[in-house]
Amino acid sequence: MDIDFSPVLDNWRFLGFGLMMTIVLSVASMAAASVVGASIGIARSYGPRPLTIPLAFYVDTMRAIPVLVVLVWTFFAFPIATGITLPPFWAALVALSAHIAAYIAEIVRAGIASVRPGQARAALALGMSRAQVVRKIILPQAIVRMLPAYGSILSITIKDTAIATVIAVPELMRQSETVAAQSFRPMEVFTTTMLVFFLLLFPVTRGVDAIYRRVAHLGRS
Amino acid sequence: MKLDWSVPWQYRWMLADGVLVTVMLAVLTMAIAIPGGIAVMLLRQSGSRVLRAVGAAFVEFFRNLPLILLVYWSFYVLPIIVDIQLSPFATGLVALCLNVSAYNAETFRAGVNSIRAGQRNAGLALGMSRWQVMRKVILPQSTRRILPVLASTWVSLFKDTSLVSVIAVGDLAHNALQIRSQTFRVLEMLTVMAAIYWCLGYPQAKLVDWIHRRYGVSE
Amino acid sequence: MSAVGGRDAGRKGADRPPIVVYEGVVKRFGAFTALDGVSAQVNRGEVVCLIGPSGSGKSTLLRCTNALEAIDSGRVVFDGAPLPRRESEARHVRRRMGMVFQNFELFPHMTALENVAVGRSTVLSEADGTAKVRARALLAKVGLADKADNYPSTLSGGQQQRVAIARALAMDPEVMLFDEPTSALDPETIGEVLGVMKQLADEGMTMVVVTHEMTFARRVGNWVIVFDHGRIVEQGPPAQVFDAPREVRTREFLSHLGWGGDSG
Ligand SMILES: Nc1ncnc2c1ncn2[C@@H]1O[C@H](COP(=O)(O)OP(=O)(O)OP(=O)(O)O)[C@@H](O)[C@H]1O
Ligand SMILES: [Mg+2]
Repeated sequence: MDIDFSPVLDNWRFLGFGLMMTIVLSVASMAAASVVGASIGIARSYGPRPLTIPLAFYVDTMRAIPVLVVLVWTFFAFPIATGITLPPFWAALVALSAHIAAYIAEIVRAGIASVRPGQARAALALGMSRAQVVRKIILPQAIVRMLPAYGSILSITIKDTAIATVIAVPELMRQSETVAAQSFRPMEVFTTTMLVFFLLLFPVTRGVDAIYRRVAHLGRS
Repeated sequence: MKLDWSVPWQYRWMLADGVLVTVMLAVLTMAIAIPGGIAVMLLRQSGSRVLRAVGAAFVEFFRNLPLILLVYWSFYVLPIIVDIQLSPFATGLVALCLNVSAYNAETFRAGVNSIRAGQRNAGLALGMSRWQVMRKVILPQSTRRILPVLASTWVSLFKDTSLVSVIAVGDLAHNALQIRSQTFRVLEMLTVMAAIYWCLGYPQAKLVDWIHRRYGVSE
Repeated sequence: MSAVGGRDAGRKGADRPPIVVYEGVVKRFGAFTALDGVSAQVNRGEVVCLIGPSGSGKSTLLRCTNALEAIDSGRVVFDGAPLPRRESEARHVRRRMGMVFQNFELFPHMTALENVAVGRSTVLSEADGTAKVRARALLAKVGLADKADNYPSTLSGGQQQRVAIARALAMDPEVMLFDEPTSALDPETIGEVLGVMKQLADEGMTMVVVTHEMTFARRVGNWVIVFDHGRIVEQGPPAQVFDAPREVRTREFLSHLGWGGDSG
């Protein structure tokens, strides 16, 4: 079995661009999903029933459907249904954000629910308003408790960006496929890509764990 | 815009076929990845440092990889390395098993470690063997922690099977996408595909929530 | 108000209008009645101790006192006015009362100093600096000046509870409500918390204390109320309730606790 890594080396700019796209797509999706997800989570915790029921349906639907299906639908079917065509990158951003937001909403809701009722009572007893209790007492603790789960969502997001290859977003997975196909060297190319993804993801997982260990006590009431 | 919903109905048996393959993939993967996960967990707890390192490397590596990349790798690279040509279905199964075994190993390890050392000591103090302590004291207690996580993993796995469609395994996603490109009924087929996944996945997600409420341990 | 009629003329603070009056307070949780027509009063400067078996409704009465719980019938009158039902108005009353919890309920994401200052800065919109000056003085008062920058997780139970007392005092409350403040503490640290409470009582603070510390109730309390099944079984000065209880239920409860008089 002969091994030849020169296609990887020769195409390092092309692959590097893919890595950059992977990171940009991950960060953008995570940011959008965090805003949307946190809003949904807070609305489901404190909002009126007419609001919480459709939100719960949205969240459960996203949990039930594979992200691949959401991606493909957003890119191919959404333009037909609405007449709005999204370029691949934007379709991927919308689909991933919509999907990840549901998971973040669940985490936020669980985090809020996990803060003991005594904490709200203690704050109310001081004369704080409901809004102050949520903002100053509940959310800061909930956020700390959410960190580990939020960290795994971040790593899931990075992994999910690779699925955007099916709608031809030029991220690392797509670029690797292209190089592998053109060079007939899939082993060298895909093995390299595996390593790159691992080196990207492993520190993220570890980093979040380390941060959580340092702040865990702030969320333990 | 004219929609033609008769197309999905025409191809209903192909879709049903896809559902069957999806379910079989998920069931087989879990059936292999539960013992697989236990084996990897035992590696991580063994007396040998080398075996512990191998177990840890397995878990960390396969949890920190996009599954779709693992699928491609198993399809293009694995046959070169091991010199066997596997069917697309078997290839997809291998990729899913590697991924889910790594997650299960971590689930089992966390479940077992969540039981206080005092429980183990109490069992040993009664004269139980290490294996008896594991079976009679630790496992029954850790089930409450393990079962809900396994249930969540199952739901993820069920959805993740859609990723093997990229190597032409005839699962639901692949068959639906095939029909789409043959008939050009894009909106109809993609919506039907999403609806079928929803019908299969929604009750599962709800069941998992119930299991978490019933057996879950907070904190 | 027959229960607190003429024979209470010598009761502490009886010369001034009472600060809290409970008039036939009823509180239900679904079909379960937690408070079943409770009538009592708290005079200014008095230490009222609530005792009684677990589940008898002591904590519930305390939570009804500062409107954390809405009552189903009867009235709770604070400083001459019935407690408002509207949440926004209830807040104004709450800030005039301090509350101390069995599990401290310190805010884990704030230092001891921030815990004590947060009420003044958020509720009274006081400048951060000013609130902290006040908070520092209160921490010194409860003997924790050197722990100002510690997070709750690094403090012992007794220290956490003293911070919680300082947090409540920071709002300059007219009444302090204590819900079993020492029940979650190790025996060694109970004394330091009771010491702070005794000091408060000596300074003339009005206090309502749910407690299982009978020695404290006997020595520091001015008035003792015995609860059972959501009703008041008996109330009176500690000497009477502890040494010459009128009701069988009181005697049973006290002997159950091993109370054999204040001989120690
Ligand atoms: N939020 C609630 N919902 C339902 N029942 C409640 C609630 N709060 C209290 N109860 C019930 O009301 C009764 C009185 O409770 P409360 O906490 O006031 O008792 P307590 O006298 O303080 O007892 P302890 O000494 O154990 O603290 C109990 O039977 C309790 O189960
Ligand atoms: Mg109580």
